[in-house]
Amino acid sequence: MAEISLRGLTKRFGNVVAVNELTLTFASGELVALLGPSGCGKTTTLRMIAGFETPSHGRVLLGDRDVTEAPPEKRSCGMVFQNYALFPHLTVHQNIAFGLEMQGVRRADIDRMVAEILDKVGLGGLGKRYPRQLSGGQQQRTALARALVINPSVLLLDEPLANLDAKLREEMRFYIRSLQREFHITTLYVTHDQSEALVLADRVAVLMDGVLQQFDAPEIVYRRPRTARVASFIGLTNLIPGRVAARAGDDVVLETSIGRLRARGPEDLGGGMEAVLSIRPENIELGRREAAVAGDGVNRLRGIIRERIFLGSFFDYRVDVGAGTLLRVQGGVHAVHQMADEVTVAFDASSGWTLPGGRG
Amino acid sequence: MPAAAPGPAGASPGGRISGQALLILPALGLMLVFFVAPYLNLLLISVFTPSHQAPYLRVFTLANYGHIVHDPFTWQVVWRSLWLGVVTTGLSVVLAYPLAYHLARTPRRMKGLFMILVISPLLVGVLIRTYGWMILLQDTGLINQLLHAVGMRRAPLMYNQTGVLIGLVHVFIPFMVLSLAGSIQGIDPELELEARSLGAGAWRTFWRVTFPLSLPGLAAGTILVFVLAISSYVIPSLLGGFTVITVPILVVRTITELFNWPGGSAFALLFFVITMLLVWCYIRLIGRVTRPVT
Amino acid sequence: MVIRRERLYLLLAVGLIYAFLLAPIVVVVLAALNSGAYLRFPPDGISLRWFAAFAHSRSFTRSLAFSVELAAIVTVVATVLGTMASLWLARSVGRFRDLMRVLVISPLAVPGILTGIALLIFFYALGWSRTGLLGLIIGHTLISLPYVFLITSAVLVRFDRTLEEAARNLGAGLATTFWRVTLPLIKGGIISGAIFAFVTSYDEFNISLFLSGVGTTPLPIEIFDYLRFSFDPTAAVAGTISIAMALVVVLVTQRLVGLDSLYLGGG
Repeated sequence: MAEISLRGLTKRFGNVVAVNELTLTFASGELVALLGPSGCGKTTTLRMIAGFETPSHGRVLLGDRDVTEAPPEKRSCGMVFQNYALFPHLTVHQNIAFGLEMQGVRRADIDRMVAEILDKVGLGGLGKRYPRQLSGGQQQRTALARALVINPSVLLLDEPLANLDAKLREEMRFYIRSLQREFHITTLYVTHDQSEALVLADRVAVLMDGVLQQFDAPEIVYRRPRTARVASFIGLTNLIPGRVAARAGDDVVLETSIGRLRARGPEDLGGGMEAVLSIRPENIELGRREAAVAGDGVNRLRGIIRERIFLGSFFDYRVDVGAGTLLRVQGGVHAVHQMADEVTVAFDASSGWTLPGGRG
Repeated sequence: MPAAAPGPAGASPGGRISGQALLILPALGLMLVFFVAPYLNLLLISVFTPSHQAPYLRVFTLANYGHIVHDPFTWQVVWRSLWLGVVTTGLSVVLAYPLAYHLARTPRRMKGLFMILVISPLLVGVLIRTYGWMILLQDTGLINQLLHAVGMRRAPLMYNQTGVLIGLVHVFIPFMVLSLAGSIQGIDPELELEARSLGAGAWRTFWRVTFPLSLPGLAAGTILVFVLAISSYVIPSLLGGFTVITVPILVVRTITELFNWPGGSAFALLFFVITMLLVWCYIRLIGRVTRPVT
Repeated sequence: MVIRRERLYLLLAVGLIYAFLLAPIVVVVLAALNSGAYLRFPPDGISLRWFAAFAHSRSFTRSLAFSVELAAIVTVVATVLGTMASLWLARSVGRFRDLMRVLVISPLAVPGILTGIALLIFFYALGWSRTGLLGLIIGHTLISLPYVFLITSAVLVRFDRTLEEAARNLGAGLATTFWRVTLPLIKGGIISGAIFAFVTSYDEFNISLFLSGVGTTPLPIEIFDYLRFSFDPTAAVAGTISIAMALVVVLVTQRLVGLDSLYLGGG
């Protein structure tokens, strides 16, 4: 199984730069999620890897082969399209057999391999059906089978679950993951759904406006986002702007409009620099004002509940902590606060992460 | 809708351009050599001199155009053609609207049937349909037989302008229907229902709601029918006898009977230009009224 | 209650107008089957004598055969060129593309008479006097090609390009992709365009008027000449054949492609 390597990959459409100097290397057998909002360039990147777009600049390498000039049919990628792109005039069996026919595999072997993979994806016996006779989930699995049966070096998935309903999407997520692990195939998974990316990927590449923002394991992207944009795109967060007052190892002391706050931060954030503190709603605790306990490494603020929304398993609060700052806090149902309650807002320094400020 | 992709990698630098261009070259070649060139040549011929020994002499002259412009007879013919075109267009609008409205509002399953009814006449050909009218409109034709049978006088329906108009309207209605139906289909039926529920009668609803919103189709249809009607040769010939002389008839006569190629060409081109000018003015006029309504 | 009455009026009008639209066509068929030389009401009776007369007429049968031969050749040429043109157009961008589209369709926008004259004079200028079959092929292709182009374009617009991408992704080259994926899915449009081209050439009069010659006389010209002087229903037989053809074409096209791709202008 090959690794994928992108070097300075750039694509311009007229004056618009869709993908900007993207450099990325995937390890063999890993599932990388290419995550970003609509229009960020992730599909364009995928298409350049598959060979449907020519890069304006940069190279694409599959394994140690430079395929930048190679036509799509010579690249040995298996692709699953967002709309599945199943051939409507061919049966399921013929669809899956297509790639094998292109490879010149013998008829008897083709039939055997197709039957095997149909069983594997749970579509055994449906070989004679036409795509229009299948459900969405079945079409999805057919598309997967078609891409996998040709034994490609690389698997490319373009928002494969976008057209499925929520429940099916969850099922298919794990299914795709287990299939990928079983085939141990290097996979690029393009999605705009960040929870999907976090659940499935070995590593997540966050792309925004064609520029790579971060490329890390899901947990790191979530807990240690590199920019404020990444922080707010992945999950929910509160962003508090300020200035770095002091550094000590991992620790950061930030001077903000609501007071001095302690958090963690990356090495390259030095004293005096503008910064933004990111603290996620689930990491903030609300307590009644009197129950203030002194302790190191905990930030405490006073606040007033301005909004309170019941969401079943928890409450979603907006807490006014002064200086026009409203913090979003999510709390369990057992510690309920009412509108206009005065509360203590507390979070550990270790849950707060500082990001470079300025252009968030 | 799939946009035209810039094209996959892997084609040679000049290859991608030439490979695809190969697809259009034959048709392009055909058009340039056998359509554009002949028309340009026609322009050229129109300024050559007519002759008795040969179709034309390669001597530059503007006399052909001069003759046409100064000859009141040709202007009569032009006027007659334009008038026929306008009346045909007007009548076909009136007759096509019900068909178009009905077609546009027919449920999907039945639409095919009515499309067949509308389009089949087009494929039968002008000649055959005109022949059918000859059988019907003659003095001894079916219609006059029926009139005679109920004791009415015979009506002269052929070899005159009436016959020509009937033939023209008949042949070109399908074009008007297709143009209008496309537009009407785009009008949300809800709008009409609302108007009705607010108390507007059927006519009022039509004039205030349906008609204005169908103007794009109307504009396209009227232009199409007008241009087709004034260019018709077969219908005025067969149904008009020698009494109705239109521009195409005069042109054909000039070219094939009088062998005056330069004169015929000049006349044809002049008429073509007049037509285009009229259409252009019409489009400008309509342009203000056919702003698309979303 | 009020609405139903108006709907009735509409249907009545629609019925009458369709009757108007179809009357001459029906009449031609009746005349061909009529036992008398003049269509009378009440009709004389049914007879096939005019069909026999048609079959015995050298000039008619010869020009029928010629028209069919001509239309067949024109169909092949127009279909190949027209399909290629619409394929090109579906895949390209830019102003040249729009210009090409206008160019391909323009023979439909100019009077056939004018095109016929232009070709006649042009061929003469080239020194080509007995243009015969080839001249007619060229002229007819000019007006048949746009129909092939329009119909195949309508089908191509609905064609999902990702299917071609999927095929290439699975290892198929350009030619294989076209042959195995694109062509099977657009062949309905190609066939419809082809039969439209056939009928258009078969019925074509205006251009044939100037390009036909001795021994190369298409049927419409033959009929026209006949109708100027005679009036028996032998010509109606030719008409009946045309009508039957038109019906077949329309029905087949409706089956394969659906006729709503032929809406013009507006919506």
